[in-house]
Amino acid sequence: MTNLPKVKSVALRTISTPLILSAVLVVLALITVAYGSRPFNQTMIDIFVRVILVTGLYIFVGNSGVLSFGHIGFTCLGAYAAAWLTMPPMMKELSFPGLPAWLKALQLPYGPGAVLAGIFAGVFALIFGRILMRLSGIAASIATFAMLAMINTIYANWESVTSATNSVVGIPIVRTIWPYLIGAIAAVFIAWAHAISRHGLALRAARDEPTAALASGIDIPKVRLVAFTLSGAVMGLGGALMAHSIGVVTPDTFYLGLTFITLSMLVVGGIGTLTGAVMGVVLLSLLIQGLRWLERGVPVGESTFALPGGLQEILLGVVMIVILARRPSGLFAREFALPAWLGAGRGKSSAAPRNVPAGDA
Amino acid sequence: MSLLAVSDVTIRYGRLTAVREVAFTLAEGEILFITGPNGAGKSSLMRAIAGVTPPAGGRIDFGGTEITGRAPEEIARMGLSMVPEGRDVFGSLSIEENLMLGTGMHSRERGWKARAASALEEVYDTFPILKERRHGQAGLLSGGQQQMLVIGRALMTNPRLIAIDEPSLGLAPNITDQVYERLIALRAHRKLTLLIVEQSSTRAVMVGGRMILMRGGQVLLDGDAGAMGQSEALQAAYFGYGEH
Amino acid sequence: MLQVLFDALSLGSLYALGALGIALIFGVMRLVNFAHGDVIAFSVFALLWPSTDAVAIVFAGQMPWFLLIPFILAVGAGLSVLSEIVVFRRFRHASPATMMIASFALGFVIRYFLLMLFSSRPKSISLLPALSQPVEILGARMPLLQLITILATIVMLFALSVFVRKTRFGLEMRAAAENFTMARMLGVRANRVIMGAFALSGALAGAISIILGAQTGTADIQMGGAVMLMAFIATVIGGLGSLEGAVLAGFLLGAASVVMQTVLPPEARPFRDAFVYGAVILVLLFRPQGLISARGTKERV
Repeated sequence: MTNLPKVKSVALRTISTPLILSAVLVVLALITVAYGSRPFNQTMIDIFVRVILVTGLYIFVGNSGVLSFGHIGFTCLGAYAAAWLTMPPMMKELSFPGLPAWLKALQLPYGPGAVLAGIFAGVFALIFGRILMRLSGIAASIATFAMLAMINTIYANWESVTSATNSVVGIPIVRTIWPYLIGAIAAVFIAWAHAISRHGLALRAARDEPTAALASGIDIPKVRLVAFTLSGAVMGLGGALMAHSIGVVTPDTFYLGLTFITLSMLVVGGIGTLTGAVMGVVLLSLLIQGLRWLERGVPVGESTFALPGGLQEILLGVVMIVILARRPSGLFAREFALPAWLGAGRGKSSAAPRNVPAGDA
Repeated sequence: MSLLAVSDVTIRYGRLTAVREVAFTLAEGEILFITGPNGAGKSSLMRAIAGVTPPAGGRIDFGGTEITGRAPEEIARMGLSMVPEGRDVFGSLSIEENLMLGTGMHSRERGWKARAASALEEVYDTFPILKERRHGQAGLLSGGQQQMLVIGRALMTNPRLIAIDEPSLGLAPNITDQVYERLIALRAHRKLTLLIVEQSSTRAVMVGGRMILMRGGQVLLDGDAGAMGQSEALQAAYFGYGEH
Repeated sequence: MLQVLFDALSLGSLYALGALGIALIFGVMRLVNFAHGDVIAFSVFALLWPSTDAVAIVFAGQMPWFLLIPFILAVGAGLSVLSEIVVFRRFRHASPATMMIASFALGFVIRYFLLMLFSSRPKSISLLPALSQPVEILGARMPLLQLITILATIVMLFALSVFVRKTRFGLEMRAAAENFTMARMLGVRANRVIMGAFALSGALAGAISIILGAQTGTADIQMGGAVMLMAFIATVIGGLGSLEGAVLAGFLLGAASVVMQTVLPPEARPFRDAFVYGAVILVLLFRPQGLISARGTKERV
């Protein structure tokens, strides 16, 4: 498994996966626009933001097999960077008096701001990764945990630059769905391009056959570092867009809660596949939304049926446990792909996603 | 009646079939060698018998009861004691703790303490070196001493059958001789049934008893080890020529 | 100076007890149990009658201390064993990542169960109020509770160490932690050992919840979280699976936190924990197997 197939032929063979996933996302966006309800619009934006985050997480966790608890730290970096870059100077003076004058004077549109925020998070991922990628297994996982806690502590206390634990308000809110859709599709294609690149293939080889990979000269820390940096950048981009979707950031928005919800979505969807990352978000988010809807109350004949508050989360947890117990490698252990006889080039509109059950191999 | 009966057992790991429809029986008091080259499926078979990896097909009976798919601890408690490949001593435990671990299954019975103590003495009589170092860490023993420890530990469970996977692995020939000497003596003394896996058939031919030769997950030959040692069929089967 | 020592010891006690609770389960199951923090919270709330008011309606909390303490320990142990039977038993053969996420999901369920009954507002409780009296030892004044925390931890650690070393159950647990399959082939019952480890771990969670409840005077759904974060880290840098290592690392982390609090310049003090986490990463870089590397821990099959 360690001799790397030609990248180009792999690209042709696998391009259907990101295409199908993007099609799913586009369909969701179109339904949202057609439906035209504001809360529904916001829900879908949340889903797209989480698609970016979970796809970013997949780039490192899925391909390397190393569980990271630290990636939401990069989301935190990206979100605050977006706040620094896009808030009106007057608001910045209030929230971040300690920022350098040139940064305070700067006010970028949200698009370039988000890209820069992603790059900013990517640079930090590169720096942290240089240190952390020397570790592997559980030691690496806990080190990423320590990294997350470190970033959280700094952002929760550096009053003059992050406004400490106070909510940062005044981030321009973006309510149209398209930028989030574009971000999510971009994340999917970045993840796909990485997975089929020389580095991505080498990284997966190292995940599945570590000894053979070492013997064939794969520099494991290096290929891991590439994935870590890239996924850090995508997480940063997601953080920036998340900041624009809610308009408020606090350090604790980007801490254990978000870490676990994103990890759960990845694991439930299927930790080793891009399809799992995207569909895990979509399905779990829809489930959450459905439960919330039940919590608010549904008219049944004369009376209303409503779940007691809090039961929503309990049911979500139970569903997650049941799914994990039934399908330990996640709901989508194989990628969506066109049936072989269709070929990659002749995609028809009937190319419905195929859910191939996980084998026991 | 046979003590152990393996009927048409198949073992798979994912898509790989390690053992294909293997069948044999082992009578009370018998000594049976399973030999064959690397990858013949010998260890997989042993793991299935011990309940560690349940077989994909077939059944295994021990003492007249079906044990297919039962938990390892239940099978051990029925009197089938497995000594796996690679001498799994508990390195951080003392030698005496290693030995006493096997007596736990009898701790509900009346008078088990006295029986455990006398079993311990018996093991120490058989392997005096273990007594000498009884409070030392098991991980610090030499390979031969560890092999004696795991055999002693298996004896402590008071088994009807001891199954040993490659007792000579990694041992110098003279140490292997010692191990076998003790095993044969024990068998005569305690009327044990022995199931021994070895890669080479030399030891089986030397010791005598019955021998099964496996290759590619299947049984090729089953018969008296001494007689097989004389025949050319053994050589042929072992090295894979003249098969067709 | 003495005050610093006692602060370090009492904080370290909490971390050590937490780390031990995690290491016990990891040893026999290779499970990093994220629900442990929520078992801590649950044990305290078991004393209260469900209500959403800020002032707690004490229910079982009115018991005298000699009944109260065993009650909380039993609640922790019971919940922990229940979680093994209902949830973790189904994950015996799952990968560590799957098990971790399952444990997180379970913690989520426990947390929101409490939230549903009690709301997210912290409640003031008075748990063993006699313990907040200050006492004077060798010229240093400190709450009696701090002293008792340290003493109780030492007693518990000692009792646990005797239990693990001298009893048959302890022997079976040590063997199972080193090589579970081999232990089973010697007749050690997997379910019994795993349930025992969960019970002990849950009782330790109960002990932490008593200490936290008495220290802070509040029952808070989040109360387990902060301790558990440090406890996880202690378990890993102690050497996963090593009980001694978990205790040692717990005390070291407690000491590191307290020492940094006094040594750091005032403007850097809010960032204390960041320095502690940085130190953790350093330790891992130099000793990825932990301070006391666990013995040849073989994979379970």
